[in-house]
Amino acid sequence: MTNLPILTLITFVPLAGALLIAFLPRGRPDLARWAALITSLVSFVLSLLLLPAFEVGAPGFQFKEQADWIPAFGIQYKLGIDGISLALVVLTTTLSWISILASFGPIKDRVKEYMISFLILEVGMIGVFVALDTFLFYIFFEIVLVPMYLIIGIWGGANRIYATLKFVLYTLIGSLLMLVAILATAFSFQALNGGNWAGAFDYEQLRGFGFDPGFQAFAFLAFALAFAIKVPMFPFHTWLPDAHVEAPTAGSVILAGVLLKLGGYGFIRYAVPLFPDAAVTFAPAIIVLSLIAIIYGAIVALVQPDLKKLVAYSSVSHMGFVTLGIFVFQQQGLEGAVLQMVNHGVITGALFLCVGVIYERTHDRTIARMGGLAAPVPVYAALLGFFMLASLGLPGLSGFVGEFLVVLGTFDVMPGAAFVAMLVVVLSAAYLMWMFQRVVFGELSDFLRGIGHHLTDVTPVELLTLTPLVALTLLLGVFPGLILELLHGPVNDVIAAVSGGTVIAR
Amino acid sequence: MSGFLLTAAETETPVAAAGATDMLLVTLLVALPLAGFALTALLGRRLYTKAWVIAVPVMIVTWLIGLYVIAQALGGAYGEEGLHFTLYRWIPAGDFTVDAGFLVDGLTAALLIVVTTVGMLVHVYSIGYMAHEPGRWRFFAYLNLFMFSMLLLVLADNFLVLFAAWELVGLCSYLLIGYWYKRRSAALAAKKAFIVNRVGDVGFGLGIMAIWTTVGTLNFHEVFEALPEAGLEPWMITGIALLLFAGAVGKSAQFPLHVWLPDAMEGPTPVSALIHAATMVNAGVYLVARTSPIFAQSPFAMLVVASIGIFTAILAASIAMTQTDIKRVLAYSTLSQLGYMFAALGVGAYFAAIFHLMTHGFFKGLLFLGSGSVIHAVHEEQDMNRMGGLWRKIPITHITMLIGSIAISGIPFFAGFFSKDEILGESFKLGFGWVWFIGVVVAVMTAFYMFRLMGKTFYGPSHVDPHVADKIHESPPTMTIPLILLAIPSMFLGVAIGWPPEGGLIHQWLGPVFHEAEELLGHELEPYAIFGIDGFLLGASVAVAIVGMVMAWRYFGFRVPLLGAEVQPRARRVEVLTERFRGWYDASFHKWWFDDLNHLLFVRIGGAVAAALWWFDVNIVDGAVNGVARLTQGTGREIRQIQTGRVQNYALGIAIGLLVVAVSYLVVTPR
Repeated sequence: MTNLPILTLITFVPLAGALLIAFLPRGRPDLARWAALITSLVSFVLSLLLLPAFEVGAPGFQFKEQADWIPAFGIQYKLGIDGISLALVVLTTTLSWISILASFGPIKDRVKEYMISFLILEVGMIGVFVALDTFLFYIFFEIVLVPMYLIIGIWGGANRIYATLKFVLYTLIGSLLMLVAILATAFSFQALNGGNWAGAFDYEQLRGFGFDPGFQAFAFLAFALAFAIKVPMFPFHTWLPDAHVEAPTAGSVILAGVLLKLGGYGFIRYAVPLFPDAAVTFAPAIIVLSLIAIIYGAIVALVQPDLKKLVAYSSVSHMGFVTLGIFVFQQQGLEGAVLQMVNHGVITGALFLCVGVIYERTHDRTIARMGGLAAPVPVYAALLGFFMLASLGLPGLSGFVGEFLVVLGTFDVMPGAAFVAMLVVVLSAAYLMWMFQRVVFGELSDFLRGIGHHLTDVTPVELLTLTPLVALTLLLGVFPGLILELLHGPVNDVIAAVSGGTVIAR
Repeated sequence: MSGFLLTAAETETPVAAAGATDMLLVTLLVALPLAGFALTALLGRRLYTKAWVIAVPVMIVTWLIGLYVIAQALGGAYGEEGLHFTLYRWIPAGDFTVDAGFLVDGLTAALLIVVTTVGMLVHVYSIGYMAHEPGRWRFFAYLNLFMFSMLLLVLADNFLVLFAAWELVGLCSYLLIGYWYKRRSAALAAKKAFIVNRVGDVGFGLGIMAIWTTVGTLNFHEVFEALPEAGLEPWMITGIALLLFAGAVGKSAQFPLHVWLPDAMEGPTPVSALIHAATMVNAGVYLVARTSPIFAQSPFAMLVVASIGIFTAILAASIAMTQTDIKRVLAYSTLSQLGYMFAALGVGAYFAAIFHLMTHGFFKGLLFLGSGSVIHAVHEEQDMNRMGGLWRKIPITHITMLIGSIAISGIPFFAGFFSKDEILGESFKLGFGWVWFIGVVVAVMTAFYMFRLMGKTFYGPSHVDPHVADKIHESPPTMTIPLILLAIPSMFLGVAIGWPPEGGLIHQWLGPVFHEAEELLGHELEPYAIFGIDGFLLGASVAVAIVGMVMAWRYFGFRVPLLGAEVQPRARRVEVLTERFRGWYDASFHKWWFDDLNHLLFVRIGGAVAAALWWFDVNIVDGAVNGVARLTQGTGREIRQIQTGRVQNYALGIAIGLLVVAVSYLVVTPR
């Protein structure tokens, strides 16, 4: 391994791109588009370079970078990745360039500002996954909010102000509580360390530190609330359908594909290993909420009249598997949860792209107005069908393995809960196939007939955004080991932390 | 990512005397149809009118390879345990690992005979049947995808790969039922089939998880070895067996999940023959047979299997007697025959079950393809009330379908006679007199509805649309040759592998597979006695078949005045009969109202629940969120009043604040 600070590069190349775009002339939106795409591609390629260099099975974090930032309080600029973060970083960089490319056509106003927002968004997202300092993590976690606020609020739909305010205020309440908890954790660490601030924000120091149970309960709840809103868990999910409906297509892709994973990642990286005793205490409640989310999200998805809302509620259901898998504290469940995060990002991101394709042509997403798309736009119909099947967990495509592992892990611990979660097998088939039938099968609807020759099949650019996701869905369905092999070590560390066995600080 | 890919040589199970060639060929069995699917789908429209040009040759080659593998397996080249090898490690999740592995033993080979042969013939038949369909490349692509999935299903060496293939055949079924997607009924039927199947899959999936959590592996052989020694409570074994059976009930369309199969007839007829008669619907029977060592440990589970099976047999037969759509009659007949197979599995007559699966695969495939030829001849008409007198006009179709009807009715010495008789006879001899009795009643009904079908279609007066009547002609050779080729096993397969009774080839082939289950059950069968009990049972079977046939003939066949007595016109007689059994007729005609019940439960009530939950989400959950926001806003507005800008007020505020801090300090730190 060279001394190249590769994680810093991956994280901040988009920022450099954003700065560059800021100096581009306003009258040349094409330049801004290409600059953004190339920047995100550079970051993507750099993240791919991690894959061969990453040492599978090696303990701890790799590609570590460390520098003092605010030494008085022990705050550092500290980066590093393990298998979990690696998978999510690559997911982020992949979806980022795809989203930017998908915005070429739809975004026509203020292209420069849009692309700058998007690149800063990417900085925040990658930063969250590579940070190893709680304060730094918090900074990245909050950075994400600002560009997303703008993307929904400026380039969104009719009711965008309501939706974006709701999104920001809701998540802000959670993350501010988390900030309090981060500071309290540092104070607590410092106090118990004889007033020494060194390491008070250092993730590797804090993990396995063994905080007082009473403190753990408070800190865990504060962290958990922030992440629960982000995931989103029932009953904190109502911002999601509103945000999705108003967000531009690429915004929805990133929102579902990556932002929701910040919550899942937060649980698995921070809330559980830092406060394991509290995590065990609260696990039953979180499992129950997850089961509710899984079933409730699927049932509510059944009756959605809007394509985007349907996918949004399906996300609530699918993300329920992530929290369920984490909190059964069992190897298959945890590995399944992380795999499910990646799969959900790919599949749901693609589904939002598909919805965007039809919206571009019809400026409508109402299921009742669609019908018979198979005949005029067969390639589109096939792609939508493919991702529909992936989303309902067809074996051979990526959605299946993650969900199966989560339910398997749950069955190992509490079979009754597995039974409830398994019911989604029927429900997901019901809402997705019903949607597909109404949109794609049947005679061409009068509304679509009215669109006339504007109803064209997918363009080459759209195909370019969807094909990589088709390939990933197939690849991860047939070779889930590509991800799973990365997860054994980190997942065992989490299990060890909650089972209170070995202290795992290194 | 080391250790991720495993080569065949690294597998733990030793490979019985079989070389790398055999492994390659078995792999090709699944790889070829998959490649055929991919190519056909990618080329799509560019194949123009020759949409079959990849799919059909691929299938013929697959069939030839299949024949070689079958010969090897049944010839004993793979030993008693069968050929077993692994392609790669599919899921490596800690101590949960699943290999993409194959197993070829006698049971696999028996299924391969049906799957590859009927599959190949249906491919050929489809060239003719689909010749006028504009988008038929889609059809041939799906057919190849189905063959891939079905072959994977029977070749899988563990539960999870089987489950994956199980879902994939369900997908192909969905795609092919919905082939004419513009038709609303087809789209609805496709969706229904998939969703109803998934109800069963909930159980199947949980069953697989239960197996893994108890024995820590999903490989068939390892599970069967470990399970008896795992020291499980009897209810746990029963639970596992019944969970697996739930999957079988869905896939093989047994009561109460039988509702999807008749609707599945919306698909093109070759699909009905291949998927919904000869192969996919047998998957449930295959699953229970494959896991017979599990079922054999639970008498209760066996009883459930037998009961569901024989109940479905009589329920479906009762419905088949009054339906007028030719394909729906055959669909209910399929349900009924699958019920026989489950009844056989439930009583422990494993050989008879698989024997019947094989013969049924051929003669029901034949009957469906024949019905397709009929439908083709009368210009896409499926209502038997608008057919009649066709026997002269489409002679090959008529003769081959007659053979199929005789075979299914259990007339000696056609294929169905041997297999059905073995099921009924063994049920009786193993002490399941009630299964035998219901089975005999079903046999009468079977003969009746089949010859009703033959009569209404081929004999009797013609009710064909006059515009169509002149243009009726026999189907092209691509369609008639498969019919003839299927008629051969429908006649001779029974005697070829089922004779002598309880000692035929089928018993040799499957002996090792069912050895463990038979030992667990401890069944002791008396030697076959043609001049004893077996002769009596056989006579009863034949007698009831003939009774059913004659009854149907009297109402629907050619008019043969009996002993010169004055006979009423046929239509009048059917009317009288219908009136006499009005209540029964209505129940049968309306399929015992299962569809209406399901509609009420799941569409009406389920839909209302979903709508109510959404209301709850918008008004209560989100209402609470917005309520808090409004409260904050309101409070903010009130608090803003404090910002008066007057220094005096602020000073007062500061004073109060200090006081609060001071008091709090005293309260909080009393030490």
